[in-house]
Amino acid sequence: MLASPALALTGLSKHFGRPAVDGLDLTVARGEFYALLGPNGAGKTTTLRMVAGLLAPDAGRIEVLGVDLAADPAAAKRRIAYLPDDPMLYGKLKPVEYLEFVAGLWGIDGKAAEPRARELLAWLDLDKHAHELTEGFSRGMKQKLALAGALIHDPELLILDEPLTGLDAGAARQVKDLLLSHVARGGTVILTTHILEVAERLAQRIGIIQHGRLIAQGTLDELRVATPGATLEEMFLRLTGPA
Amino acid sequence: MKLRPGSACWLLRHELKLFWFRLASGKAGAPRRPKWRAIGGALLVWLGLHALVFALLHALGPAAGLPPRQFVAAVTAILLATFLFMLSSALKSSVETLFDRGDMDLLLSSPLPSRSIFTVKLAGMAFGVAALYLFFLAPFAHVGLLLGQLRWLALYPVLFAMAVLAASAAMLLTLALVRLLGARRTRVVAQVVGALAGALLFLLSQAGSLLSQGDGPAPTAIARVMASVQILDAGSVLFLPARAALGEGRAVAVVASLGLLAALLTVYSTHRFFVRGLQLAAGSERAVRRSGPVRYRFDRSLAQLVIVKEWRLMWRDPHLVSQVLLQLLYLLPLCLIVFRKNALQLPAIAGGLTMLCGSLSASLSWIILLAEDAPDLLQTAPAKAGTVRMAKLAAAVGPVLGLVALPLLWLTLRAPLPGVLTTATVCGAILSTALINLWTGRPAARGEFKNRGQRSVATRLFELSSLLAWAGLALLLPRVLGGAPVGIALAAGLGAAATVALGTLPLAWLLRYRVG
Repeated sequence: MLASPALALTGLSKHFGRPAVDGLDLTVARGEFYALLGPNGAGKTTTLRMVAGLLAPDAGRIEVLGVDLAADPAAAKRRIAYLPDDPMLYGKLKPVEYLEFVAGLWGIDGKAAEPRARELLAWLDLDKHAHELTEGFSRGMKQKLALAGALIHDPELLILDEPLTGLDAGAARQVKDLLLSHVARGGTVILTTHILEVAERLAQRIGIIQHGRLIAQGTLDELRVATPGATLEEMFLRLTGPA
Repeated sequence: MKLRPGSACWLLRHELKLFWFRLASGKAGAPRRPKWRAIGGALLVWLGLHALVFALLHALGPAAGLPPRQFVAAVTAILLATFLFMLSSALKSSVETLFDRGDMDLLLSSPLPSRSIFTVKLAGMAFGVAALYLFFLAPFAHVGLLLGQLRWLALYPVLFAMAVLAASAAMLLTLALVRLLGARRTRVVAQVVGALAGALLFLLSQAGSLLSQGDGPAPTAIARVMASVQILDAGSVLFLPARAALGEGRAVAVVASLGLLAALLTVYSTHRFFVRGLQLAAGSERAVRRSGPVRYRFDRSLAQLVIVKEWRLMWRDPHLVSQVLLQLLYLLPLCLIVFRKNALQLPAIAGGLTMLCGSLSASLSWIILLAEDAPDLLQTAPAKAGTVRMAKLAAAVGPVLGLVALPLLWLTLRAPLPGVLTTATVCGAILSTALINLWTGRPAARGEFKNRGQRSVATRLFELSSLLAWAGLALLLPRVLGGAPVGIALAAGLGAAATVALGTLPLAWLLRYRVG
């Protein structure tokens, strides 16, 4: 029997007065690094928020690793992690306290969570800041801590909304390495980004979304077929630019 | 009037403009849209106050000769209370100026002299502190002018002088704390001192009762002060502010000069340290307190984690601590009175404890249940929402129950029936206000704590009705069950209180707020 995909969206729609996501069909295979691109207001964040269970779709179906999100949200949430562009942190908690809380929310056994927390904090260079409250952290440190929180339960599907925005080169490199290692260990990563170079270098497949619909999808080579020799930026601008 | 850009007056105009935007739009950081309906309402109330004052001053007529000493003493007490409240507000403003910064980074990076910036900030603080009192007292000055009773005009310089003194004292105290304790601790200590200053008169008024061990009613500290004031000479310097407020020209000049002198001295002596204080405050959030190795506690249950997290978040937020502490300050004397050896005024204690415990529970519930910093994190987690909610509820009511448990136990041992009844009404009020917040409250940011009533009027109304009803039950139940004759009024009061106390919860549940 074929394994179910990491994410399968069927006819997904969400309206906020006007359609934000409009009958979106999307499938991401397990172990894949998928980049979802699109101009501002294309519906990327709304899509990811629906997958994370933060927004209820008006229509359509979301299946996470074979689990229907609407039918069994807890089972689906247990296997995914969502990292929004504005990290979900508590300013008055220290990094370890934050990770303790997140591990508790995901019901991770203490014996497994503690070494994982130590490993993540060390990997992301946050162990040096263990005594500080996160409210004093820089944007990059906050993003890294949120990523550590997202990875503490070793999710099978990692969903990230603009994870590299505002990070310096060093922090961005650390985050990218962590994401690649997650995929190398069999995990799935879906991210949105405005930095096309990131999608070009990291993603195995790229989806371009506009007006809530998927207008192009494939590997970089597949996308290039229509526009030979073009860079991803040129393809993106051609596909999403005014007709 | 065209002001030179960059001058102190130009900056002051900018500061006053910002003050107006904040006032007109209801809260800091709100969009610059004035709430015209609220402004119109306030203006109507202000005009109404003028009419009331007109009737009052017209009936009293012009004062002849010197006011009696007792009256001057009473005005002195009122002015003292006003000054303490002003000091409390000014301390809050000075902490906000130093730590919340607002436009301070922009101003400090500009070529404006630090003295101008400090002067304007101090003036802005003084104006903000005086505004509330001017709203209520300026009508006396205006109507007095209309009726030819010019002495009322003295209210303006006296109030401004007091506000300037309060602002200067608050800024000096805050900067001194920064120098002595460091920026990080100052934020907490200054806010706590501000809360204490606001409650000082109440605490003084309770001190007599607490310290007295006799059987008779104990004279309050304030009553004792008032009695000793009677022997003071009418020309005593202690009466100077009161004489100024009552329009005595020389006293007005002295008080106004004192205010001005205090402001000038504060500006000239501390404007440089003000900048230093701002720089220290800017780095305070990054200050690291190394307290040994990091403790990893991954062995807690989800409920324990939620409770510990909520208590940590609250305890580490000096603004919230000072707000909650203020309520605690009013509750503690009542708790201590229970342990006095002399005769208890049971109904008053029961009513007070019920009201204050319920009110404290309402505040904690709002902070813990509604002001969640990372709601999306909870929503994306697979944890059962019910478990998290119950743990939050426990985190909110637990401290109040813990605080009041011993006094209630002691009360029950001394007077079993009233003790049990008080325990029931206190628990009822604590749980009711917490559940009302859980069911009808709307998610908010912690910074909105002080204005939480504006955000959810229904929740506040439910809370207030429930608190009053439980306090009413606490007052009336011991009488009825203690064998007092039950008249129609008592029965009706008891019935109404019981109906509201028990009926509010189902109603709140029916009207509960659903996210999304």
